Formats: sequence, C-alpha cells, structure tokens
Amino acid sequence: MLMMSRREGEVILIGEEIEIVIAHIGRSRVKVGIRAPRTTAVVAREVKLVREENRAAAGLDAGVSAARILKVLQREPMR
Amino acid sequence: MPVVDTKNFGRVEYEEEAALEFPRGLPGFEERRGFLPLHQPENDPLIFLQSLEDPGLCFVTIPVQVVDPGYRLEAEAEDLAAIGLPASPRIGTEAFCFAVLSIQEEGPTANLLAPVVLNPATRKCVQAVAVSSGYSHRHPLCVEEAAAC
Repeated sequence: MLMMSRREGEVILIGEEIEIVIAHIGRSRVKVGIRAPRTTAVVAREVKLVREENRAAAGLDAGVSAARILKVLQREPMR
Repeated sequence: MPVVDTKNFGRVEYEEEAALEFPRGLPGFEERRGFLPLHQPENDPLIFLQSLEDPGLCFVTIPVQVVDPGYRLEAEAEDLAAIGLPASPRIGTEAFCFAVLSIQEEGPTANLLAPVVLNPATRKCVQAVAVSSGYSHRHPLCVEEAAAC
C-alpha cells in the first residue's frame, strides 16, 4: 500500500479525475473531501459491509431462520 | 384497512399507523421506504420487518438490548436528524434500536454496526451506520449448540 503524509488543506490526486482533499485533522478523526466522477461510487467501507450484510439478511428464510435463532437465544418457540 | 402480502405470513391486514417509513431506504435497498414490523408471541423477541413494496423482502430483527444489554447508540448526528432525533436520544423512550440478523456458518449474527433506529414519535427509521462505534456488522448471537450464552 502506498503511504503518503499530508497536511491539512493538501490534496492527493488519483488518476486524472479523482481528488482527495485533507479538509480537517481532528484529534481522532480526519475529515476528507472527495471529488470524483458521478459514476464512481464513494462510500465509507462500513457502508459497503452493511449493504452486503443486508443483502445476505434479506435472503434468509424467516421461518427456518427464526426457529434457529430462537434456539440459539434459548427460547424454544411456543407452539 | 390496508393489506400487504408478506414473505412468510401470507396476506396481513395492518393499521396505517403501524407502518414505518425509511426516508432513505436501507443500504442495498435504497428504494424500499415502507416497512411493517410484525411480531408474534411465538417468535418473541424477534421482529420481522416486512417491506410494503416488495412482498419478497423481509428482514429478521431483534431489539439490540437483547443482544447486548449495554449497547450504546453511536450513530452520526446527521443520520439521527434525518428522522427527527437529537444527537443522543434516550434509548427506550425517544428512540428504539433493532439489529438486523443474518446467519453465518458459525451461527446467527446481529448487525450492531448499523442498527435500525426508530423514532416512535414520527414512525420514521434509519439504518444508521455507526462508523466509529467499534461494533461489528456480524456480532455473534452465540455459538450454536453451546451450553450457555
């Protein structure tokens, strides 16, 4: 991985069309500005994880999975 | 009364006021705005989140406190503002949090990284990705077949 040190206000270029601006450096967080073509999706990595996780969750068969989950929670379904 | 075709429970009649609105949808399902929470005593504490627009879409969720009694909501203020909540809402009164469940090889997991936050006053919800919370998107509910959880 390429590592670069930048100060507040400085810019990194990726290819011809993507610009990363180090907008603000706080104590534990960095605010970054990103300029990219509309066709390039820009999201925090966590958002991608959640998107994938939601797709996996949506694929569950609720009836079967509910029984399995309830078993794990040690609450047998009352039928 | 409106009716909805559900993924698991056939056709269900519901009160208009029971419906939940996700103004931004959920990550991966941005176009799905209306959901109906379904809870049945036999499946307690699970809550099924049935899409009102897509009968085939239903999430299995659980109140976060069931998974982690000490759960702290660390959502971004902007996400909370989108459903009319202050930056640090009181959980259990001003806001309710649910974790979306999925099943991995090791057993069921709860997405604590991105809780579904409900503002009961407006019935609006957001799935808030709490990027700096340190919670996992696959928090194990418990190892299956284990003696104690």
